[in-house]
Amino acid sequence: MKKLGYVVLIVIFIGLFLHSCINIDNPDTKNSSLTTTQNNQIFFREYPTQINVNENGIDYLQSQAPVGIFGGTLIASTIGEGPKTFNPFNSKDNISSTMSEIMYDGLLSTHPTTGQPIPKLAKDFSVNGNDYIIHLRKGIKWSDGRLITADDVIFTWQNIIFDGFGNTSTRDSMIIDGELPTVSKIDNYTVKFTTPKPFAPFIRNLSTPIAPKHIFEPAVKKGKEYFDTFLSTNTPPENFVTSGAFKIKEYVPAQRVVYERNPNYYIINKNNQKLPYLDKLVYLIVGDVNNEVLKFEGGELDVIGLQGANVARFKEMEKHGNFEVYNLGPSTGTMFLSLNLNNRKNDKGNYYVNPVKQKWFQDKNFRQALDYTIDRKNMVFNIANGLGAPLYTAESLNSIYLNKNLPAYDKDIEKAKALLEKSGFYRDKKGKLHDKYNNPVEFDLYTNAGNAEREAIGVMVKQDLEDLGMKVNFKPVEFNTLVNKLVNTYDWDLVIMGLTGSPLEPNGGKNVWMSDGTLHMFNQRPAGYLKDDRFEWEKNLDELFVKGALATDFNSRKKFYDEYQKIAYEEKPFIYIYSPLVISAIRTKFKNLYPSMLGGLTHNIEEIYIGK
Amino acid sequence: MQILKYILKRILQSIPLLIIVSLISFFIIRLSPVDPLAELRLNPSVSQETLQKETQRLGLDKPIIVQYGKWAKSFVKGDLGITSNGEQVSTKLKERIPNTLLLTTIVILLTWLVGIPIGIIAALNWKSNLDRILTVLTSIGMAIPSFFFAVLLLIFAVKTGWFPIGGLTSSDFLEKSLLGQILDISHHLVLPVTVLFTLSLAGLQRQMRANLLDVLDSDYVKFARAKGLSEFKVIYKHALRNAVNPMITLLGFEFAGLLSGAALTEYVFQYPGLGRLILEAVLRSDINLVMASLMMGAIMLIIGNLIADILLIITDPRIRRGNV
Repeated sequence: MKKLGYVVLIVIFIGLFLHSCINIDNPDTKNSSLTTTQNNQIFFREYPTQINVNENGIDYLQSQAPVGIFGGTLIASTIGEGPKTFNPFNSKDNISSTMSEIMYDGLLSTHPTTGQPIPKLAKDFSVNGNDYIIHLRKGIKWSDGRLITADDVIFTWQNIIFDGFGNTSTRDSMIIDGELPTVSKIDNYTVKFTTPKPFAPFIRNLSTPIAPKHIFEPAVKKGKEYFDTFLSTNTPPENFVTSGAFKIKEYVPAQRVVYERNPNYYIINKNNQKLPYLDKLVYLIVGDVNNEVLKFEGGELDVIGLQGANVARFKEMEKHGNFEVYNLGPSTGTMFLSLNLNNRKNDKGNYYVNPVKQKWFQDKNFRQALDYTIDRKNMVFNIANGLGAPLYTAESLNSIYLNKNLPAYDKDIEKAKALLEKSGFYRDKKGKLHDKYNNPVEFDLYTNAGNAEREAIGVMVKQDLEDLGMKVNFKPVEFNTLVNKLVNTYDWDLVIMGLTGSPLEPNGGKNVWMSDGTLHMFNQRPAGYLKDDRFEWEKNLDELFVKGALATDFNSRKKFYDEYQKIAYEEKPFIYIYSPLVISAIRTKFKNLYPSMLGGLTHNIEEIYIGK
Repeated sequence: MQILKYILKRILQSIPLLIIVSLISFFIIRLSPVDPLAELRLNPSVSQETLQKETQRLGLDKPIIVQYGKWAKSFVKGDLGITSNGEQVSTKLKERIPNTLLLTTIVILLTWLVGIPIGIIAALNWKSNLDRILTVLTSIGMAIPSFFFAVLLLIFAVKTGWFPIGGLTSSDFLEKSLLGQILDISHHLVLPVTVLFTLSLAGLQRQMRANLLDVLDSDYVKFARAKGLSEFKVIYKHALRNAVNPMITLLGFEFAGLLSGAALTEYVFQYPGLGRLILEAVLRSDINLVMASLMMGAIMLIIGNLIADILLIITDPRIRRGNV
């Protein structure tokens, strides 16, 4: 009798704990991920480009989107530790850049659909060979009421960027033959930039934020060390003077960043009222994806990026929920399989890569055979839940420089076998592949452990390659160990990696594709390596990247970058696999949404309002 | 006077201990293959010059023993150094310590205020139905893994909408009145406190019950009863004072856990405390931050034990005569 009592008690308790969870979870799991593929329609809505207007002598930028209602808050989120600085010139990570660039506009920006440079703080601009003339808006103000003038621009470029304050990556990327561009003031509202040589990527650098001179100058005078701590996350919000749509109101470590509207913003609506519509913009700092999803479901978040199985679940919930899911198309992220083409010796006189394997990896037929064996569509379907696009080119699918003449193809194992045969590989009676010197083909395949997607790709690549009779040892290792292998010790055979490119500027990929690049991982040379042992096609790539940067108009640049993609497509140092799709959900109460592949969901944050 | 001498002796004793703790932790962190710059290295837009500057700034180009020497020197001076992001470690810790303390002190107060009386009640009603029900309840509390329990409660919050999903304050916290702010924080604290409270209550209640049962069985209690003292006096004057000694040692450990005891729960509830900060720091191999937290943990443990010992001296005349 007593025992029964215990049992009943325990059962009641467990039942109480689990009741709500199990019961309510059931309806969600009924609808499996089968629905995903039919929802892959990429969303598109033509964005009404903003135009310049002059009101009472002030050069405003006027939104052409429908006039909305003022007020309200949008709550977004960021995963990780949150911003490390609010100084746009110091940020080294994405979150810090996003958080600081909300507050500081640049001279130019990017059109969300065409990707062309469009004026922002600048009223207009003209490019004339090496000269870039920028006309500024007259009468627009910082958030503290001071005018934004040419002095701010000159100060930002000369005294912060060119003088090497903060994160110098922007500056380093602009050095041509050891020379920096110059900037000069023509009058209070006109500046001129001059590059030492024609240098096309420079126009994109003009979207770098502009700093208010009267705030930043004292910090710059105190030296670089002080500047590194200037406008850190501990700075009181009232010390910020901004030009962007929003201005920081509160930062609570590990919880959130709250922005309030900048009353002096220079974008107005069709009724000539100053934007933004929203009173507040909040970024919650969440530790991981699961928590972010819970917060969205619990109504604490308004907008969220979705991945994997969550997409199907949200699609289902969308029907009776108060949010909408948008498919923005393939992201800039690329997933690829790389081979180690290194044929050098380390300082102890040993080869980085076993000479037997070197012969395989440096054989173009071998690389192409691997490429034809990999079943990209299968991976997209099984690993990315159908939410990805097979990738064959070095530029990502949303790049404006994408070479569209390079055709996609399916897995073709017969073609792969023929290619291997051409190079003297043969299969023994047991089906094992050997090279022409009778060495069995066996190599290691690395990726970073803990990244479920890459591990799954690794398993499928291994299976596919074993169809050819190769023996693949798949070894997921710790991320840092992998990076060390790639950039220091070079002792790897094959690796599955991902990199994020720029959809606007292929020159950003020069670190990867030029033979002296720091991420030229498929044939990495140590820093300061002098001997010229480049492959013929590596020389071509080097030349193309130099020429592509020097040409100025889009069409002639595109020719060079088409050519580089063609070389990468044929030589296959990287075997591209797929790009994930970007899928986001946002509450339906938000209006004026013009989601785009390049800009994302909230690129026009100043125009977004809460509808009735 | 004697107590002061004793405290001084204990503090001196703890110095070699701290040195050993710091040495072991420093070398283990540095020998692990975690590279604080790995993320930067794989970022195509970061230049070689920036990487070199970062390596020098973090002192990664020097041998480990030199790095340790540098760290130890500034630690002794009271300077905890900077994090790998260039922020002061001390300000980072200062941001989080109050949050963690808020959570852990509430939990400790609650568990002691509830756990001790329940333990006494259970012991006094030994083998009665009340005792059995309490045993079942505490067994359940001890058996549920904190991580799992926390996740369950989070899902509960999502499904019912009764509680906020993690965090400490709402996004419109600044606009609330003082009372509203207090209510907001309390609302956020309910779930994490529930998890931690359930777990530690169980242990404490069992401990108290067992101690009191032991004492109640001893000869002097029987003697007191035989003498005809009232039951109230027997229990609260004679039995309880003796049963509470082991609890004081336990209190010393609780003190050590003030800053570090709630890490797992903090992480699940996205609570902006030390636990989350340090977990992220370990993953990044942010040496100064990790070292500061480890040293803090060690010092808290030493202080906790010291406090417990001093309290014991005060409550227990036997120790007073013996040790000091």
